[in-house]
Amino acid sequence: MLGKRPEGSDRLSGQQQASVPIVQNKDERAVFDEVFLPHMAEAYRLARWLTGNAYDAEDVVQDAALRAFRGIKSFGAVNARAWSLTIVRNTAYSWLVKNRPKAVVFTDDLSAAEQQELEHEGPHGTRIETPEEIALFKADAEDVEHALAKLPAQFREVIVLREINQLNYRDIAEITNVPIGTVMSRLSRGRQLLIALLGDRE
Amino acid sequence: MIASIKENDELQMNAYCDGELDPPSAIEFERRLADDESLKARYNRLLSLRRAVRSLPQYELPPGLQAHIQSALDADGPGQTNLPGPVVRLGQAGRPRQRSWSFQALAAAAVFGAVISSSVMLTIERYNLHEDVAREVVAGHIRSLLAPQPFDIASSDRHTVKPWFTSRLPESPQVPDLAAQGFVLVGGRVDVVGHDPVATIVYKHAKHTVSLTTLPPGQSVSDQAIAGYNVRSWSDPEFTYIAVSDLPSADLASFERAFSAGSPAPETK
Repeated sequence: MLGKRPEGSDRLSGQQQASVPIVQNKDERAVFDEVFLPHMAEAYRLARWLTGNAYDAEDVVQDAALRAFRGIKSFGAVNARAWSLTIVRNTAYSWLVKNRPKAVVFTDDLSAAEQQELEHEGPHGTRIETPEEIALFKADAEDVEHALAKLPAQFREVIVLREINQLNYRDIAEITNVPIGTVMSRLSRGRQLLIALLGDRE
Repeated sequence: MIASIKENDELQMNAYCDGELDPPSAIEFERRLADDESLKARYNRLLSLRRAVRSLPQYELPPGLQAHIQSALDADGPGQTNLPGPVVRLGQAGRPRQRSWSFQALAAAAVFGAVISSSVMLTIERYNLHEDVAREVVAGHIRSLLAPQPFDIASSDRHTVKPWFTSRLPESPQVPDLAAQGFVLVGGRVDVVGHDPVATIVYKHAKHTVSLTTLPPGQSVSDQAIAGYNVRSWSDPEFTYIAVSDLPSADLASFERAFSAGSPAPETK
């Protein structure tokens, strides 16, 4: 059963092989199965949130899997999860740009849209509320889902990666290809926007 | 009139909520949280937002998608040119009829992949583990500095500290007195790393505290700075040592030299 075991794999059982380029001399498919497949469910979840619907998410995951397979040589044996999700994220955006150009709302971080949103919502962004004003909202799941789907892409993605995929800042920074400081400010703003959007419904 | 909340507060609050603040800042933030009603209310709202988002129904991977991808990859062998061909949409007509053998391929690949890469994954895991160890050791050091005393047993007498460890731990390190080299033994404490109690020897150098935590041998923790504290690690056959201090790393290096020279080889006892 293990007859196909490639040369060099024995050496991997040694403990010292800290940063082996694991892809060398190995069956690319086996590496793919090890690196990408375990994160398929998460990949789908991310794609589902980024594209906004199930059909598109399936296409994106398939496309991403193919890209991952073809690019498996570039996997550096560091963080399979972040590597896989990076491909899914990038695939999702290029897929959206190509197939649903109107659906991708990418704004600048301090965009007019956000500014307007915050100003439109009144007190939230500009003035401190008294403790009494800061109510815990009682939004139902549908409202929350709707609000999250409405966020501009760069805020939605960090919130999804943080809350749904439950990644740490470092991984989110790697996946979204921005500095950690930007991840922090996008998370903070994204959450403020969500709070504003949900507050609107009461 | 209440001052408006600063941008920085918002970031801190988010980072704290995400468990991403370094320990001293987290402690500082908690102190402010306790004092500031408004901040606390905002923080609670943030928590309730998190709960709401996290309790959203999770989208599940559609059944069959994975197998479908597998067979799409079978058709895209490495021998083929990398044409960015159209992805076959699940449920569309013209779906490949290779299912039965693609499941076999999947099973074989799974076994095959698991055998090969378990050691790689182990390596990755071990790496993470060591970084966690360093963080835990630093957390122990920080906790000790916040306590009235950084040690459980106060003594500059190595013949007091060593037996104190021996009576509490399965393995206890040599406790050399390095006063001559500028590192005064002040005591010892038991830290918990992972789930295991371990011995930590505490030294003073001028006003600075050095915590030397002793772990089972054979771990490699990289020298680094965590939360503003320098971490230096070395090993001998008996223990892996991790020294933590706010001393410059050059001073920690001389501490290592002094300790290694002052700690006689275990077989002499």
